[in-house]
Amino acid sequence: MKKTMSILLTMILIMGLFTGCTGTNANSESDKAASSTELNIYMWQQYISDDLIAKFEEENNAKVNLSYMSDNADAITKLTAGGGQEYDLIMTCDAYMESLVDGGYVEKINFENIPNASNINDSYWTAKEYCVPYLMNYIYIIYNKDTSPVEIKSYNDLINPALKGQIASIDGARNLFPIALVALGYDPNSVNESEIAEAYEWLVKYNDNVVAYGNAEQNLTNGTASVAFTYDGNASWAMSELGKDNNLVIADFENDPVQLGFDLYVIPKGAKHVDLAEKFLNYITDPEVMAANLVEYPYSCPNDVAVQAASEAYRNDPARDFDYKQNVFFQEDVGEAITIYNDYYQKLKVGE
Amino acid sequence: MSLSKLQKRKRFGELIGMIYSIAIYTVLYIPVLVMMIFSFNDQRYNYYWNGFTTEWYSKLFSNSTVIGSLWYSIIIAVLATVISVTIATIGALGLRKYEFRGRKFINNMLFIPIIVPEIVLAVALLIIFMKVGLALGMGSILLGHCTFCIPYAVVTIKGRISGDGYSLEEASMDLGASRIQTFFNVTLPSIMPGVMSAAFLSFTLSIDDVVMSNMLAGAKNSTLPVLILSMNKSGITPDINALTTIMILVIVIAMILNNKIKNALSKRKKAEGIL
Repeated sequence: MKKTMSILLTMILIMGLFTGCTGTNANSESDKAASSTELNIYMWQQYISDDLIAKFEEENNAKVNLSYMSDNADAITKLTAGGGQEYDLIMTCDAYMESLVDGGYVEKINFENIPNASNINDSYWTAKEYCVPYLMNYIYIIYNKDTSPVEIKSYNDLINPALKGQIASIDGARNLFPIALVALGYDPNSVNESEIAEAYEWLVKYNDNVVAYGNAEQNLTNGTASVAFTYDGNASWAMSELGKDNNLVIADFENDPVQLGFDLYVIPKGAKHVDLAEKFLNYITDPEVMAANLVEYPYSCPNDVAVQAASEAYRNDPARDFDYKQNVFFQEDVGEAITIYNDYYQKLKVGE
Repeated sequence: MSLSKLQKRKRFGELIGMIYSIAIYTVLYIPVLVMMIFSFNDQRYNYYWNGFTTEWYSKLFSNSTVIGSLWYSIIIAVLATVISVTIATIGALGLRKYEFRGRKFINNMLFIPIIVPEIVLAVALLIIFMKVGLALGMGSILLGHCTFCIPYAVVTIKGRISGDGYSLEEASMDLGASRIQTFFNVTLPSIMPGVMSAAFLSFTLSIDDVVMSNMLAGAKNSTLPVLILSMNKSGITPDINALTTIMILVIVIAMILNNKIKNALSKRKKAEGIL
C-alpha cells in the first residue's frame, strides 16, 4: 500500500515537473512572439534624423535608445570583448566586416523580415548575409578653382611643392596610406612592408602641403585651405555653405580610383530585441524614409530606390556629380600588416 | 646709491615675477576664455566669429540628451566619490596603522591602477564584466571609476595620517571612549583635510573621465564627456561651449563663496580666541 502510494506520488511529482516545463516553454515562446518595446542602437552621432526615430518609436510603440561612438574602433572593442548583447544594432564599416563575421560576433540577418533591403544596390554589398548598408562615403579631392595654384588630376598632384600649406585633409592611417599606395601604383590595401615604406615617403611630402588635419570642409569654406581631401557628404556641406556660385570643383581624376566606404548596421550576437531591430532595418531601407533622411544628412546612399525618391536638391547635389564613381577601391582587412601601417603612421605624425 | 641699486634690483625682480605669472595665467586661461566667447557665436560650426547670440543657451536647456548626460555624470561622480573615499579611508588607516604580512606588497600594488594605461584597464574590466554577466550601465561605470579613484584617494589620505595621531587615540580610549567613538570624534577629524582633498580628487577624476566611461557605458545613457567626444566627428556645437561656460561659472562662484565662508569662520575663531 505504502509502495503504491509512493509510486503514485512520484508520478504526480514527475508529471508536475513536466507540466511545469511545458508551462515555462510556452511562456518563453509567447515572450518571443510578443514584440519588444526597446531598441538599443550604437552608432555615429549626427547621422540619422531625430524625426524619423521619433516616428519609428510612435509606429512601433517602442523606445529607441541611441548611444554614440567616437570611433569605429569603439564598436569593435565592445563587440570583441563580448559587450555586443547590450545592443540590438551596431554601426560599423565595411573594412571590419570580414573579421567580425570570422570571429562570430554578428548574427545572420533574416532578410525575410526586411523586404525593403532589396532596394539596396547589390554591387556594393559585401558580407551580404550579415549586414545592411546605411550610407556611404566617397573620399575624394575638391578644390577651389580660383585659389588653388594647381589643377588636380591625380593624387600625385597633391605632393606638388606649389601646394605647400594649401591642403586640408581627413586623418587616419587607413585613409591616408591608400592614396599614397595608389599614387605609387600599388594595391591600396597592400600588406608589403617595402611598399608601405615607400607610401610613407610619399606621405611625408603630402604632409608638407597639409595645413590642417580634420574639419577639412570648414577649412575650405573659411579660406584656410584651397584643396581638401574629404568625404563627399562634407564636400556637399562646404558647397552649400558657400552658396550656388561657389568656386569649388571636384578634382577631375583621370585614372586614380577613389576610396568608397560604407557605414552599415549589424545585429550583434546575443542581441535581445532582434524582432525590433529587423523592423528598424526594414524601416530605414524604406525609400520614403531614407529619402527624408537624406534631406538632413546628404551623404551618398547605396539605396538606389531611395535616391530616386530623394529631393531634387539631393539628386542634383554638385558634390556627387563626378564621372569616376565606378572607379573605386574599398578598405580591406590587412590582417597583421595593420601594425606596419600604425608604425609608419605614428612616424608620420610624430616625426622620426 | 647702493640702496637705490637694491631697490632697482627688487623692482626688476617684481617685474620678472609679474611677467612670469601673466604668461602662466595666459596659457592656462586663454583657451577657456576663447571657448566661453564662442558660446555666444552665431554659427553652427565654431570656426570663425559670426555675430553675437544667446541662442545656444536656450538650445542647451531644450537639449534633453546633453542635460540628461550631465546629470548622469554628476550622479556617477558623487556616488563614485562617496564609495571610493569610504573604502580609501578604511584602507589608508589600515595600511598605515597596522603591521601585517604583505603590507608593503599591498602598498605598492596600489600604484598599479594608477600606472596602467586607462584604456587597458577599461578593456580588461569590460571583458570581466561581460564574462560575469554584469549589464553595462551606471553600475559598470561606477565600478570602473572606483578602481582608479580608490588608489588616488588612499595615497592622498595616507599622507595626512601622522604618527602623533596615535597618542591622541590612545588618550581618547583611556578616557573611556569606545573604538567607534574614537574613530568619529578623534581619528576622522584629524584626517579630515586629507579625506576632503581625496573626495575632490575623486570627484574630478570621475566627472572628467572619458576612456573608462566610453568603454563601460551601456546602451541607454552615456556620460557628458563621452557624448562630447562622440560629437567630434561632425563638429562640436556651441551649446556645449554654453554648457561648459555655465559649469566654469558655477565652479568660480563656488570657490569665491568657499573663500568668503572660510574667512568669516577664521575671523570668528580669532574673535572667540581674544575673548
